[in-house]
Amino acid sequence: MAIGTVQPTDVLTGEGRPAPGRTLAQRVWAARWCYLFMLPNLVLAAMFTFYPTVMSWYFAFLDWSGFTSDKEWVGLDNFREIIDDSFFWDAYWRSFQFMLVAVPIQVVLALVIALILNDSSYKLGPFFRTVFFLPVVTSAAIIGIVMTFVFSPFNGPVNKALLNTGLADRPVDFLGDPDTALWTVAGIWIWKWFGITMIYWLAALQVVPQDLYEAARLDGANRWSLHKDITLPMVFPFAVVIILITIVGSLNVFGLVQTMTAGGPFFASEVMEVYIYRNAFGDTGIPRLGYASAAALFFGITVLGLSLLQGWGLKKANDARSQMKGS
Amino acid sequence: MNRHINRRRFVQTSAAGAGALALGSSAHRSLAAQEATPGSIVIPDSGVELPTDDITFRWIDSGDLKALFYNEFHAAYQEAHPNITIQYDPLPYAEINQIVPIGVQSGDAHDMFAMPQDIPSAQAVAEGWVAPLDDIIPDFAAWKERFPLGSFMDGVHVFDGLTYTFPQTSSKRYWTMMFYNTAYMDEAGYDPESERLTWDQYREAARTITEQGQGQYYGVVFGGQSTDRFGTFVRNLGRMAGASAGGSLGFEDIDWRTGEFVYASDEYQAAIDLLLGLESDGSIFPGSMSLNDAEAWSQFPQGIAGMILEGPWVIPQWQRENPDFSFGLASQPVPNSGESVPLAYEETGSNQLWVYADSPYKNVAGDMLSYIGSVEGQVAIMAATRGFLRALVPEAAEIAQESVPLDPFAATALALYDEQMRLGPMVPVRNPAASRVAFERRPLTPDLGQLVQGILAGQIDDVPAAMEDLQSRANAELERAISAAQEQGAEVTRDDFVFPDWDPTAEYTAENYQ
Repeated sequence: MAIGTVQPTDVLTGEGRPAPGRTLAQRVWAARWCYLFMLPNLVLAAMFTFYPTVMSWYFAFLDWSGFTSDKEWVGLDNFREIIDDSFFWDAYWRSFQFMLVAVPIQVVLALVIALILNDSSYKLGPFFRTVFFLPVVTSAAIIGIVMTFVFSPFNGPVNKALLNTGLADRPVDFLGDPDTALWTVAGIWIWKWFGITMIYWLAALQVVPQDLYEAARLDGANRWSLHKDITLPMVFPFAVVIILITIVGSLNVFGLVQTMTAGGPFFASEVMEVYIYRNAFGDTGIPRLGYASAAALFFGITVLGLSLLQGWGLKKANDARSQMKGS
Repeated sequence: MNRHINRRRFVQTSAAGAGALALGSSAHRSLAAQEATPGSIVIPDSGVELPTDDITFRWIDSGDLKALFYNEFHAAYQEAHPNITIQYDPLPYAEINQIVPIGVQSGDAHDMFAMPQDIPSAQAVAEGWVAPLDDIIPDFAAWKERFPLGSFMDGVHVFDGLTYTFPQTSSKRYWTMMFYNTAYMDEAGYDPESERLTWDQYREAARTITEQGQGQYYGVVFGGQSTDRFGTFVRNLGRMAGASAGGSLGFEDIDWRTGEFVYASDEYQAAIDLLLGLESDGSIFPGSMSLNDAEAWSQFPQGIAGMILEGPWVIPQWQRENPDFSFGLASQPVPNSGESVPLAYEETGSNQLWVYADSPYKNVAGDMLSYIGSVEGQVAIMAATRGFLRALVPEAAEIAQESVPLDPFAATALALYDEQMRLGPMVPVRNPAASRVAFERRPLTPDLGQLVQGILAGQIDDVPAAMEDLQSRANAELERAISAAQEQGAEVTRDDFVFPDWDPTAEYTAENYQ
């Protein structure tokens, strides 16, 4: 079988780009090998991403446990019930509280560390980059379980340190106190995902031309001035994208919350994903997949809005970068 | 009549004794086939035609205590039928709740399974998930006759005249027995086994133990992340103090005499006050809010606290994993007045098994269940679990208590159940159509356990208002579920949840339903 006149490399480089005026079918046929290679991923995405997503939209309009054939179309009833459910709104706003606190800390902290590690004179940079990245590649559930021991009021190392140093006279139940549970999880979340944000910043810092720094140094700029007047303006377009990626990430915290607090005590750390899980799989023994799907759809629209914002931010960032290149 | 003959024959011919059973070797079993004593497992020929080719029979349930018996039983069964391999999957209910429905939907469910907690059994029957036992257990009528009157209930075990499951072991047990660290309790100057602790003594003992511990251990520990533990604490202490109530079809805490919920009762409030007292004394282990129940009772032998209120399942694990841990078992704290009201329970049985309707090996399931429901099988259950599971067949329970060595803790627990528990009314026994209410029930959020957690965590200040609100929500939900059931054609009313003749101190027997 002849492979055809268009080689994949040609397509990727644009050298084999079909002439304008060819039909879509002709263009697809010309690039058939690319589509063939994409097919496995498309099939898997269709099975495990698109299909469940679309079905959950349908389920949102059903009164259905999820396990039986006994399902009833209830229209917008689930959404009406959600709007009246104070636990839904508590979880909804709690998710955003988590985001508003955790994201700025993570983004700024990661930038500071990235600036330090980006300094080529710092020989231990690669080592610390690896160390900071390790939690990223560790399962959230494993980290959650381990952290319950770390923060345990009984013989947990954190409490031991607090007691030994006299900072506390009684063990602190970080995960069992409604005032500290969510923020303890937020701290662990920052620690776990801080590495990936740092990598984003490091990538962004690579675009800052070294000759700018050298020229500034010749002009007598100190380290603070270098970052204030060169680094930050240069990486600003990336900041928009990095912040938006981190925001969306901060709304996906199920693994950590479920393993560390299960949303407790008394819902004090119940974020939206845990609320959805509680209703879908019924910790009270009564699953309501339809209702949970409606809550997920409601919340998903919010996240979608943020994702669109991310796309818009990306476009603006690219425009700004182009302008910088042009100038 | 048959029962007496069976029992004599059983004692004469059954196999090699509970001691041999504990050893569990195949050598002992083959010996047992010829010289048997109560409790050993000899697989009889039930007359069921079994497959002759090699098959794998899949079985899923929640393990725990019953696994002690099943491990023995499966080994004996496979030895008797070498072509049959039993794949036993003892898993937590959280996984059963997902594996079984998915298996049924894909046509590949386990041949025998425990019912997921969130699927009303009536619904599983209506959906065609499970097969009736009538046709697969040989000589079914005689087999069923062994169980005491009232063991098989419409809407629980029997649906449309067919029997789908059976009460394998008794559900007569409670979850708030007091386990205590004997060293700590001795030092505190209490002996709960010889003199039951009143609520005040319980609180005082907790405070004393906490003082002794000087931050190294505390008076009591709860698995507070599992909020049902807090709920059960308030429920059982409140009920024993006089807020008599029972539960059915998923609705708990109903005073059957009036059909009203008792959440706002003085007794429940007092039980919550007791918890708050423990908290204000600093007697509760500081990590209690972030431990689940299994974590709490697993850590108890490490000496983190003096007392924990739990069920009998903790004992075998402590004995196995912490053989040096010295603990005692006593009644839950009793009211200060000294007058205890028994706890009502539903004898729906425990550890029920269901046979998958599309299993190709339903005859194998029938053969196995034939043994498990026999006198011999029921004695073997008590022997293998050393009494932690109680046979429901009276003759078997009698033989086991006379003939096989029971764990002293199990004997204590059984005595407590007999003294402190009474069979309560069961709504679906009087009106099977009422089962539909369980289909329609929606969870109360927050429920009793969650509320108590919130109260202890300081998130709810006005406790009486919170309990009144819970009571009102429970009423509204029961009314709504009944209406929804009526819309589905079920003939059920709120009156089905009222039993004016209920005496909390007496058994509510079959005669009461006449």
